[in-house]
Amino acid sequence: MTDITVIIEGLLFIVGEQGLSIEQLSATLQCSEQEVLKAVDELSVFYKGFNRGIQCVNFGGQVKLLSASFIHPYAQHMLSIQKTRQLSQSALETLAIIAYKQPITRVEIEEIRGVGCDIMLRKLQAMDLIREKGRSEAPGRPILYEVTQDFMDVFQLMSLEELPKLEQIANSSSQELFD
Amino acid sequence: MFEVTIDQFRGPLDLMLFLIKEKKLDLFNLDIAELTLQYQNYITSMQQLNLEVASEYLSELAGLIEYKSKKLLPRDKTVLEAAAVEDPKESLVRRLLEYQQFKDITGQLQDRYLLRQQIYGKALSRKEIEDVMPDLLVEGNSYDLIRAMKKVMVRVSLQQPFETKIAARELSVDQRIDMLRRMINRFPASFALEECFADCPDIHLVLITFLAVLDMIRLGELLFTVDGEQIYLIRSTSDDGYNGNY
Repeated sequence: MTDITVIIEGLLFIVGEQGLSIEQLSATLQCSEQEVLKAVDELSVFYKGFNRGIQCVNFGGQVKLLSASFIHPYAQHMLSIQKTRQLSQSALETLAIIAYKQPITRVEIEEIRGVGCDIMLRKLQAMDLIREKGRSEAPGRPILYEVTQDFMDVFQLMSLEELPKLEQIANSSSQELFD
Repeated sequence: MFEVTIDQFRGPLDLMLFLIKEKKLDLFNLDIAELTLQYQNYITSMQQLNLEVASEYLSELAGLIEYKSKKLLPRDKTVLEAAAVEDPKESLVRRLLEYQQFKDITGQLQDRYLLRQQIYGKALSRKEIEDVMPDLLVEGNSYDLIRAMKKVMVRVSLQQPFETKIAARELSVDQRIDMLRRMINRFPASFALEECFADCPDIHLVLITFLAVLDMIRLGELLFTVDGEQIYLIRSTSDDGYNGNY
């Protein structure tokens, strides 16, 4: 591994699950983001290739070291973890809509889901999975929502591009199809 | 007939998709009349079971019935075209399709969410921050203080009857700190926490005193150690700044 990769490994160890952004790393190491990205790649490949108990991930631009998935059964045994948290179906629906359509207003989400989402949005905000992103120019200037860095982390996404593609919904489907 | 359950559906669109699947209706050639009938039946059985039906379900039902009734009336094609409004059926199908897509994705998201919980990070290394913290002469933890507070409360409640006073004397924490400073000057260098409460006639003053003691510990004027169930306070000798106050 190159020097910079090794330094990044050390820094990532210190910050733990909080992780470091590419910008933070490039500022600390006084090198370009390109070089950092290359080094982070090298580190990820190193951990994968050498069958290590640690992996280097990049969730939403935040690089961090985490235990490898196959450690889980042992960790579960060691820490006597019984339960896993689940998100409710309604929460997942709301999050999915925001992730694909952000920034989006509450009314637009409710139109898609067909149910009120006021309380759900507040819950998701409290969970730090979504945040307010300014206001729409529409009448009443409603609040716009978008997903957060935490969202990227809990769903293990490097970018929203990684989400499965939605089939384009024909906005102006031909009349014959339905009549 | 299917089983009617509460909370099974995330909303009216979810229910409609369920009915379309259950009754094998063609989503792309949707028979609105049939869907309306099934939907209405479902809502009715929910009501018969005294299940609360959220207003969103009723609002969608109203929309379906409106559409169905319009279909029964002779259609004036020219009026329809002139209005250039989206066919409600088309718009309903589009909403159902769009909703279905997001519903389909939730499974994948849930999987990702569960898998993420199986990989662990560690906390930020804070050793370097701990190292620069001054060595505090504190033995025992905050729970010891809480336990001690309970002991004092029991003692106060046993001192019945309390002195009855007409005029309530409201002391601030700062005033109490001043009083305590004078008081503990007469005490030996180390004394039991309870000594501070000796002159407290009511619960109010006990609380103020406790807060005052905590504040003095914070200011470094007092130190405390725990010996079994007993908390001892120690006058801090290194700090003589407060002596000049009076």
